[in-house]
Amino acid sequence: MATRPLSVLIGALGGEGGGVLTDWLVAAASAADLPVQSTSIPGVAQRTGATTYYVEIHPETNAALAGKRPLMALYPCPGDVDMVVVTELVEAGRALENGYVSPDKTTLIAATHRVYAVVEKAAMGDGRIKSEPILTAARALAKRAILFDASHDKSFRGQPLNAVLLGAIAGSGVLPIPHALFEEAIRVSGIAVEANLRGFAAGVELAKNPPPEAATEPPHASGAPTVTTEAVAGLPAAARPIAAEGVRRLAEYQSETYARLYLDRLARIAEVAPVLAPEVARQLALWMAYEDVIRVAQLKTARARIETVRAEVRARPAEPVHVTEFLKPGIEEIAAILPRGLGAALLRWGERKNRLDRLRMPMELRTTTIWGFSRLWLLARMRGLRPRSLRYAMEQATIERWLEAIERAAARDEGLAREIVATARLLKGYGDTHRRGRANFERLFAEAIEPAIAAPGPEATARVKRAREAALQDPEGRALDAALAAEGSRITKAAAE
Amino acid sequence: MERSFAKEVELLRRGDGEVFEGEGILAITKGLLQAGVSYVGGYQGAPVSHLIDVLNDAKGLLDELGVHFEPAPNEAAAAAMLAASINYPLRGAAVWKSVVGTNVASDALSNLASAGVKGGALIIVGEDYGEGASIIQERTHAFAMKSSMWLMDPRPDQARVVELIERAFELSEASNTPVIMEFRIRACHVHGRFATKSNKAPAISPRNPLTKPDFDYNRICLPPATYLQEKHKVQHRFPAALDFIRSQKLNEVFAGVHDEVGIIVQGGIFNTLLRALEQLGLADSFGNPSIPILCLNVTYPLVPEEVTGFCAGKRAVLMVEEGNPDYLEEAVNALLRKADLNTTIIGKKVLPMAGEYTADVVLEGVAKFVEGAVPKGVELARVGRTIARVADLKRQAKETMGAPVPKRPPGFCVGCPERPIFSAIKLLEREVGPIHIAADIGCHTFSTLPPFNLGNSVLGYGLGLASATGVAPAFGEKRVMSIMGDGGFWHNGLTSGVMGALFNGYDGVLLVVNNGYTSATGQQLIPSSAASPRHKLSIEKALTALGVSWIKTVRSYSVGTMLATLRRAMTSPEKGLKVVIAEGECQLARQRRFRPWFRAQLEAGKRTVRTRFGVDESVCTGDHSCIRLSGCPSLTVKPASDPLKIDPVAHVNNDCVGCGLCGEVAEAAALCPSFYRAEVVHNPGFWDRLVWRLREAAIGALQRLAA
Repeated sequence: MATRPLSVLIGALGGEGGGVLTDWLVAAASAADLPVQSTSIPGVAQRTGATTYYVEIHPETNAALAGKRPLMALYPCPGDVDMVVVTELVEAGRALENGYVSPDKTTLIAATHRVYAVVEKAAMGDGRIKSEPILTAARALAKRAILFDASHDKSFRGQPLNAVLLGAIAGSGVLPIPHALFEEAIRVSGIAVEANLRGFAAGVELAKNPPPEAATEPPHASGAPTVTTEAVAGLPAAARPIAAEGVRRLAEYQSETYARLYLDRLARIAEVAPVLAPEVARQLALWMAYEDVIRVAQLKTARARIETVRAEVRARPAEPVHVTEFLKPGIEEIAAILPRGLGAALLRWGERKNRLDRLRMPMELRTTTIWGFSRLWLLARMRGLRPRSLRYAMEQATIERWLEAIERAAARDEGLAREIVATARLLKGYGDTHRRGRANFERLFAEAIEPAIAAPGPEATARVKRAREAALQDPEGRALDAALAAEGSRITKAAAE
Repeated sequence: MERSFAKEVELLRRGDGEVFEGEGILAITKGLLQAGVSYVGGYQGAPVSHLIDVLNDAKGLLDELGVHFEPAPNEAAAAAMLAASINYPLRGAAVWKSVVGTNVASDALSNLASAGVKGGALIIVGEDYGEGASIIQERTHAFAMKSSMWLMDPRPDQARVVELIERAFELSEASNTPVIMEFRIRACHVHGRFATKSNKAPAISPRNPLTKPDFDYNRICLPPATYLQEKHKVQHRFPAALDFIRSQKLNEVFAGVHDEVGIIVQGGIFNTLLRALEQLGLADSFGNPSIPILCLNVTYPLVPEEVTGFCAGKRAVLMVEEGNPDYLEEAVNALLRKADLNTTIIGKKVLPMAGEYTADVVLEGVAKFVEGAVPKGVELARVGRTIARVADLKRQAKETMGAPVPKRPPGFCVGCPERPIFSAIKLLEREVGPIHIAADIGCHTFSTLPPFNLGNSVLGYGLGLASATGVAPAFGEKRVMSIMGDGGFWHNGLTSGVMGALFNGYDGVLLVVNNGYTSATGQQLIPSSAASPRHKLSIEKALTALGVSWIKTVRSYSVGTMLATLRRAMTSPEKGLKVVIAEGECQLARQRRFRPWFRAQLEAGKRTVRTRFGVDESVCTGDHSCIRLSGCPSLTVKPASDPLKIDPVAHVNNDCVGCGLCGEVAEAAALCPSFYRAEVVHNPGFWDRLVWRLREAAIGALQRLAA
């Protein structure tokens, strides 16, 4: 068979150094006296979008070809790519989707960490796509898949990704180019040479001994809590670790008494629907530890916090870090922690003339100064007043309503009860976001849950589920409006019949 | 500029017998210099922005040769420069992004083409079509046809391209007609090599100037000369062009053994076609097909004898022509009909009418053609197998992965000064309801994408304001908003938008996004660029001089101030044009200066403060409204480490440049107390450390007290 060019497709995100990787590859092939051509479609894609680079290398040297010039293509062709190199998992998925990875030909080198797309990040709940199907397809469809986690595997963490990929290209042995020429290309380019050479070496090693199971970011960082206490012994086994975490959190949040209230509530549910206990344990703990300004102050003055911040911003031990908080308490936040009557009066006053949005006290507070810290610290000390506060009363009443609905539903239809448990997910965020979540929750309760409890059945349960999913689709509640309108007409129709 | 070619321009000096190895755009530039071009004008735009950048960086060499280069204020101005070639034997070139740039230039081009040229006039266009394109999908072809200019579409082989650039000037001179040469995106960015020739200094230049102006009434575009010019086009220029194309063999025929069939292809698609044929077993790896090919490096005009000569004796010929309408297929069919040949032309029947001709599209089209035409001796089974395999791969991947992977369109960069403007508009919409926004061309067009989805129409570069004037009255009392970048403002927005609005007493809001460059095209300098060494113009002064009385300049990162200013502009009882100028330097340009400076400070051991933002994971509830109001690439999500939270929490990664938007949005939107700003003091001094330790001790004491 006649010699054919070797083709390399590089998929990257704008600004990730795909262009530099391509240049190194071209320089190395050139130095090996191999005919080479590269092209790319940067365009505006370099502004953080997905982009590709394509390289063809003819395996016979110019000297051997003696003036004959191979024809080089500008596009990769599905089923005809020798090597696909990607800087991120979804870009691997894109190459797979386009048919560039084939079992008889393609070596796939992929960094499997995730850089989330805007649509994944902006979702109100969890919009992340699942990594596993892409990994499965990568393993199934590549002749050889070299997969590695560039952000969690410590052999690659902090290494320049494009240099690691170049090393893996070299180490894979697909291209007839000696390692020394790749290293020379890095040296000649003259930028961060030492770091890139280290990355290259790590990449060569990676291709030789790829990690057996390239993990990708787990959907959940720490898994289930492991510490349990005797207090939760009476609960179903599956709920105990979560409940123990709930108890710990609520004791810190408010008091031992408050934690006991949590356990009592949980026991009520466990009695009527033990299988729902773990999820109720989780939602109830989050809900009871609702975020008022006292809680925010408590979290921001916690002892471990500054260390978390320092690690996050990569400060070295001798480097001071100044932390500034952005707070903008308004009437709602203040009313929330005032005693019930006073708070309610303030809120009523605020609800007139758009004062809730207009009257706010923006402040930038430096929690690394003594004065700034003390103010938040004092605020955190006010938690003793919380049980008499307006927000406390409101939250406890809604929690009770939610629990009762679960109990009532569980007696007749466990599926419906499960859906009611899940609606607690709508209550999130601060300020405006929280207000809208709350309104959506109330609407869902009145217009979907109450009717469903009154007349349960698979269709009623599905209605609640649809409405909940709609409420999580957009913050403005447009999808919920549409869903409830459609449901409403259906209900009216059913009633008419 | 985003990219510096300071090193690469040295390649442009290579002479006889040397080898050039580099990017397509540089090769094109080298071709111009080898052809003895005496002036070049242009306007930036992908995929030919780099040509402007290269020429900017090559100033030294251009001065040595006596070549004049001018980055024009818009494509119309660049095209108008070619007027020099009407009267004098000067070779000139203009360059821009097409089809949009050609649209802007078309007035000048029509007049240029009518007058005809003495010196060679070459227009290099980047045909921004298909994947990676950023504009409407149209062909430049129609412009060549309607103005009788010649269109070249050279096959993407650098040596041939460089040679054809020289031929193009000769063609232009032989036929007194401007020539357009189009390059597709990938051809502009291709890295290849060719043997160079020495550059030719133009015969007429500032060093050897003209002494006397030429006057020839027949070159003026006014009747009755225009009637003569039209006749001259068809009676003289057209035949002269055909003669030149034929005699100089600008088009190429590649012979093949299966000569009962053939393929006619646009030069730009040639390599893609050859690779498809190779995959189907119908060509080798060196560009030798077994089916004969007529490669059209000149796609307008077609040389009738070449087409009929190629088709004669063939049962069927495949026409590979990208885009629509199918001008070439129709023209070839007409030529065959006139010559009374009944060769069947198959084109858009097996190839798509719309969309880019990528490798798999061409592969499938060729396979269908071969399967239909059944040339003797072609192994059809192999053709079928190849196609089935490609389809099978895509199907398998789709089935295994289940859902399609999310799209990843371009968006605002980390720390972009334009993002906060749209955060402010989103907040404003919460108060006043949805606003009709007449958007414009530039990085700011990304506002139309998630998470902002702001902008109701895009009508062209600099036309944001002009495109609001028809719709504004329809909204009655509620004002509409239009947006313009500083690039669009100087390109034509000042005249077509601002002047029109003032002249007609328009009542509405114009937001000028002033980031100091044409950022989307690679941060080229414009008249108001602070970084410009040239004569500097001021947007504000220009507006004031025209008589705009309501002008507010706001730092774009100040979301609160921006929100208040826009609110006032939208609701103020004062009638007339209200202009808000949002100031904030392009972060890409800023970081290119800042990073090396920062590194140098660190290495020199100087006290330096690095600012970045973060999210308190424990405070974040995972509703992601911050992301919906920002969309910064460095503001992302991560799995919650709290076992009770299942939704991912917001997270600021280490790409953060500390622009401050997170804090501004958190504050302006009363969003969420999760955000914090951290200032890390590198190389701290004695006082830094002392104060820090004292504070830590006091804070620690308080914390112990609480425990």
